[in-house]
Parts: sequence; C-alpha cells; structure tokens
Amino acid sequence: MPLSRDSQLAAEIKALVAGGERDAARDRYSDLVARQQRRAVRIAYQYLRDAHDADEAVQDAFVKVFTHITSYREDLPFEVWFTRILVNACLDLRKSRARRLRWAVPMSSATDTTPTDPPTRDQSPEQRLVSTERAKEIATAVESLPGRQRTVFTLCHVAEQTTAEVSQALGLSEATVRVHLFRAVRKLRRLLERE
Amino acid sequence: MTSRHLSDDRLIELCMLEAPSMAEQQHLGSCCQCDARRARLLALLDDVSDVAAAQADAAFPPERLARQQARILSHLQHDGRPARVITFPAAHAYEPIASRRRPGTRWIAAAAVAGLVIGLVAGRFGHDYSLGRPGPVRAIVARAAGAPEFRAAGSSGTIREASTDLSDEEFLSEIEIALDSPTAAALQPLDDLTPLPWEVR
Ligand SMILES: [Zn+2]
Repeated sequence: MPLSRDSQLAAEIKALVAGGERDAARDRYSDLVARQQRRAVRIAYQYLRDAHDADEAVQDAFVKVFTHITSYREDLPFEVWFTRILVNACLDLRKSRARRLRWAVPMSSATDTTPTDPPTRDQSPEQRLVSTERAKEIATAVESLPGRQRTVFTLCHVAEQTTAEVSQALGLSEATVRVHLFRAVRKLRRLLERE
Repeated sequence: MTSRHLSDDRLIELCMLEAPSMAEQQHLGSCCQCDARRARLLALLDDVSDVAAAQADAAFPPERLARQQARILSHLQHDGRPARVITFPAAHAYEPIASRRRPGTRWIAAAAVAGLVIGLVAGRFGHDYSLGRPGPVRAIVARAAGAPEFRAAGSSGTIREASTDLSDEEFLSEIEIALDSPTAAALQPLDDLTPLPWEVR
C-alpha cells in the first residue's frame, strides 16, 4: 500500500535525524505538525474537554513523536502511530488532572467548556454553532459516554479512522473497538434522536 | 430483494463502517421506513461531528494553533541542551499545569515574585510563621531588583548568565522545559498510583 503523505514526511524526518541533520529534521517536522495539528486538537479536546489540557497533551505528543522518531516504523501509517502517542498523552493528562483535583479545593466544574452565551455578531461561525441549544444537547450526550466509548467514537467518527486503525492505535482488538463504537452510537441515538 | 427491515446495528454499520450489499441497497430503495431511519442516523452523526469539530475549533482558533506550533518547535530546539530556568525555589516545579499556560511577560513574573516576597516579609514581621528557605527568596529579590534576567539551570543548580533578548515565547517555553525536568519526573511513581477516572467507575 502506498505511504500517505504524512508517513512519507515522517520517514524523511527519521532519515534526517538518523543522519545527524537535526536542524533540517526539525524544519521538516514543522510541516508535519501543521498538517496533523488540527486533527490532533480535535481528538484531544473531545477526549479531555478542557482546552488547556488538550493543548498540553497535543504539545507533549508532538514533542514525543520527534524525540522518538527513529523508532517510527514506516509500515505503520504515521497517523496511527501518532494517534497512539496522542491518546497516551491524553491519558497522562487525565491522570495528572485527577491528581490535581484531589489536592485542589472542589470546584463546580474542572472543564473550561466553550462559553454558552447567546450568539453575538463577534462570534466565529464555530462559536455560533456551539452556542445553539442543539449543540449543547449533543455536547452533553457525548460527554456522558464512558471514556473508552468516547475515545473510540471520537477516533472513528471525528478523526475518521477505520476500526482497524483505531484498534492499532489503542492496542484493542478490532472486535472490542466495534463493541465500544456500537454502544456509543446506540447511546447517542437514545439521547439525541428525534422522531 | 431483502424483505426484512434492517436491524439497528446493521444501520450503524452501514452509516459508519461499510457500504450496503446489493440486496440491502435494493431494500433501502424500496422501504421508506428503513431509508428514513438511515437518513436520521446519518444526520445525527453529521451533527455530532460538526459540533465536535466546532467545539475544538472554537477553543483553538488559528492564532492558538500557531502559538502551539511555535512552542513545540521551541521545545525541540532546546532538546539535548541544558535548560536555563528561573531561580524559583524547587517547590515551584510542582505547580499545577493549569497555571503554566497563562500568557504572561517577564515583568509580570518579576512583579509577582516581588509581591510574594513583600507579602512573605510582611507576614514574617506580623506573625512568627516559619516559612523556611529564606535564603533563596532573598536571592531572588536581589536578582530581580538588580536585573530582569534571573534564571539558573534546572536540575544541575548552576547559575548561568542569561541573554537579555529572549522573547516572551522563549521565556515561557524555558519555564515549560524546567517543569519537565528530572525533578518533576520524580512525581511519576505517585502518578502511577492514581487510577484513571474510568478505572474507578
Ligand atoms: Zn425496511
């Protein structure tokens, strides 16, 4: 199967690092970051529901990817390898957030979800969309999914990965991925579908 | 053609994972009920992904993505070199992550330290609280008052002369590098003992 553009880029960066050309490798890496960044923040934000944490997890993941680029295997799509590292970074963040909250004064919410003020002309199209009642219902429904279901659903549906790719990224069997995906969609239908 | 209606699970598969077989295609073409169920589910899934994307995009506008990319690259630039960090007492390395991301400038940091020290000194005169480590605190005041660039190497503890032309971006990323130092990594065993939210459910 032909390598994706991002896998080719990752292979080039790996070769540059192996050849001691770190500056050139970093230069190429900035392209790869730009190509994957939007997708990465969508996954991390969906998973962590907190912009600061998502930012942190995405940065950690990109730094780890570059630091370990020589262990990247070209037979694996870069997206899958990167997703695995990103999901691990999200898990680490959740752990440290749990630890933080354990020592912090209890607050009503640990997340900084998008503001739900009435739409104004200054808002971006994204902000206007997320401030509708329907969007709030959807966000609440997605948030109510258990962690694994939400992760699988996000990777399959929001990040548009196949169940085989998600199974590789999460280290779960494909059958397990499908079970979590089906449960997630059934629950979302129950909560959101209108006759 | 298939006369039986499509199951809910099969509809999910058809909407998310695979194309319908010829027989299913024919059934969907002739059964308004199944076709409407499929259309409803597709619309729902579209709504969910639109909202998910919009939420993330609203939280990460292009400027924020550009800042994030700059931080990543700046972090990699320092890879393999000793980090230069500010001379806060070691305990500051354990500050919550949330506080690391706040935008700030060097003068704000210096003013915050100065304010803290004034508070500490005032507190010390008012009450006989034992605050510990008065040495480093005084050292920070002296350095902060004398020069805006007050920082030292993180783990090694040696003081380095810092250049005066660092941008705020570089300054922030240096703080981040300090927070990722081996001292901060000492928390890892504690971290490993903390169950994930889904593990305690
Ligand atoms: Zn039917």
